[in-house]
Amino acid sequence: VKKKTPQASANNSILQAQKLVDQLQIEACMERFKISLTAADLVRYCQGHRRSDPLITGISSSSNPFKDKKTCVLL
Amino acid sequence: MSQDPLEGCRISAGKKSAVSLGKALHPPNLLVVVEGTCGACVAASPVSAPEGSCSYNVAHHHLCVCVRVCMAWQGLQKGETLASLKQESENLRRKLEEERGKLTDVELHQVAEKVETVAALSIKTRRVLKGHGNKVLSMDWCKDKRRLVSSSQDGKVIVWDAFTLNKEHGITLPCTWVMACAYAPSGCAVACGGLDNKCSVVPLSLDRNENVTAKKKSVAMHTNYVSGCSFTNSDMQLLTSSGDGTCALWDVESGQLLQSFHGHTADVLSLDLAPSETGNTFVSGGCDMKANVWDMRSGQNIQSFDNHQSDINCVKYYPSGDAFASASDDATCRFYDLRADREVAVYQKDSIIFGASSVDFSLSGRLLFAGYNDYTINVWDVLKGTRVSVLFGHENRVSRVRVSPDGTALCSASWDNTLRVSRT
Repeated sequence: VKKKTPQASANNSILQAQKLVDQLQIEACMERFKISLTAADLVRYCQGHRRSDPLITGISSSSNPFKDKKTCVLL
Repeated sequence: MSQDPLEGCRISAGKKSAVSLGKALHPPNLLVVVEGTCGACVAASPVSAPEGSCSYNVAHHHLCVCVRVCMAWQGLQKGETLASLKQESENLRRKLEEERGKLTDVELHQVAEKVETVAALSIKTRRVLKGHGNKVLSMDWCKDKRRLVSSSQDGKVIVWDAFTLNKEHGITLPCTWVMACAYAPSGCAVACGGLDNKCSVVPLSLDRNENVTAKKKSVAMHTNYVSGCSFTNSDMQLLTSSGDGTCALWDVESGQLLQSFHGHTADVLSLDLAPSETGNTFVSGGCDMKANVWDMRSGQNIQSFDNHQSDINCVKYYPSGDAFASASDDATCRFYDLRADREVAVYQKDSIIFGASSVDFSLSGRLLFAGYNDYTINVWDVLKGTRVSVLFGHENRVSRVRVSPDGTALCSASWDNTLRVSRT
């Protein structure tokens, strides 16, 4: 289903080029930080939330609503 | 050249008009695209000047053409040429790469060296949701952590209780390929859309006998298929992505377009809203291989990443909102740090050659679940860049993976007509 829409026709090329320059100028003004700092934050977030991540720590069967219920036998 | 070289031709600013050109035009530095068919020949053969060229020979034909000159002409009168603009954009790009490069003092996996490895996952399929008559294209969890909505090529949208496998609602759309669906934050409605070029909101009724399809309300209108949709932090606004190359923000009640987002140069295939604490931004990815970050209020594209080598099928924010991941037809998933403004990890393996269709993070952001066209789900260690696990089970492409809101389960939708809910 995915199809590519054709690029705007060549007569808009100057307008497109101007827009691109404007866009790049906006991006150039952004304040960026060193990866050593930002990566440390990402790691800290993971570690900080580790205990509350059920897919990492696993959950006990008793609190797992998806675990198959055992059959019960009427005595 | 002070004289308008097309003087004598009837041209109105910005509009197409029929012009008759009986002579050859050789205007230097004039960029004109002349398109049309020759009035003398019966066969339609478009005549167009290649971009950047300045002359074309029309001596042999009488052309009735649409001359779209004005934008190019105005640009030239300002003294800019296409060439100088292209040069400037090249310079800016180079400068951006330099700036980004200066900040790469370390790699993510190096920072993560001291972090202990993830224990082997024992995730198993606990539920298989059967009911769709054709490929399941999308799904979304409800905030109540047990309901989910799914949409399919069969034109149906189903709301399920994932614990009991009960189908609570069934909505029939007049089109096939319902590519997008989303649960409203309140849990009281769902949004869906696809080949109908629309995104509709359907309020869910507690009354089982009520026909929910009848209450369907069109909200978003695009000029091509709707590929993705998401409510913002309330039921009142809807964000959509489309094959028409744009994203748009809509008011659900009135259907009014609140903001549109232009910048992609091909179909937009996916969008994801930043976690509410981080602010009003969202990320989109598409067939132009770019992932763009947008300011929702201004419509401005604030960051752009073009690392992928093929269509980006899915984008998803890291839980803290400071990063996001993408899945692409180039068989890789990538991780981008928004504050460093660059890609910081590529999740790939030589043995993985099929495109990745969907990604989602576990609650802590440590694990990245990625669905692929080879029917598998690979689980990646986000920090170390290694693969932790592979999940099998689907019998056709995995189209969407979503971790439940409480992080306890993973739901995967597939072209095998089923959805699977997996847990430890």
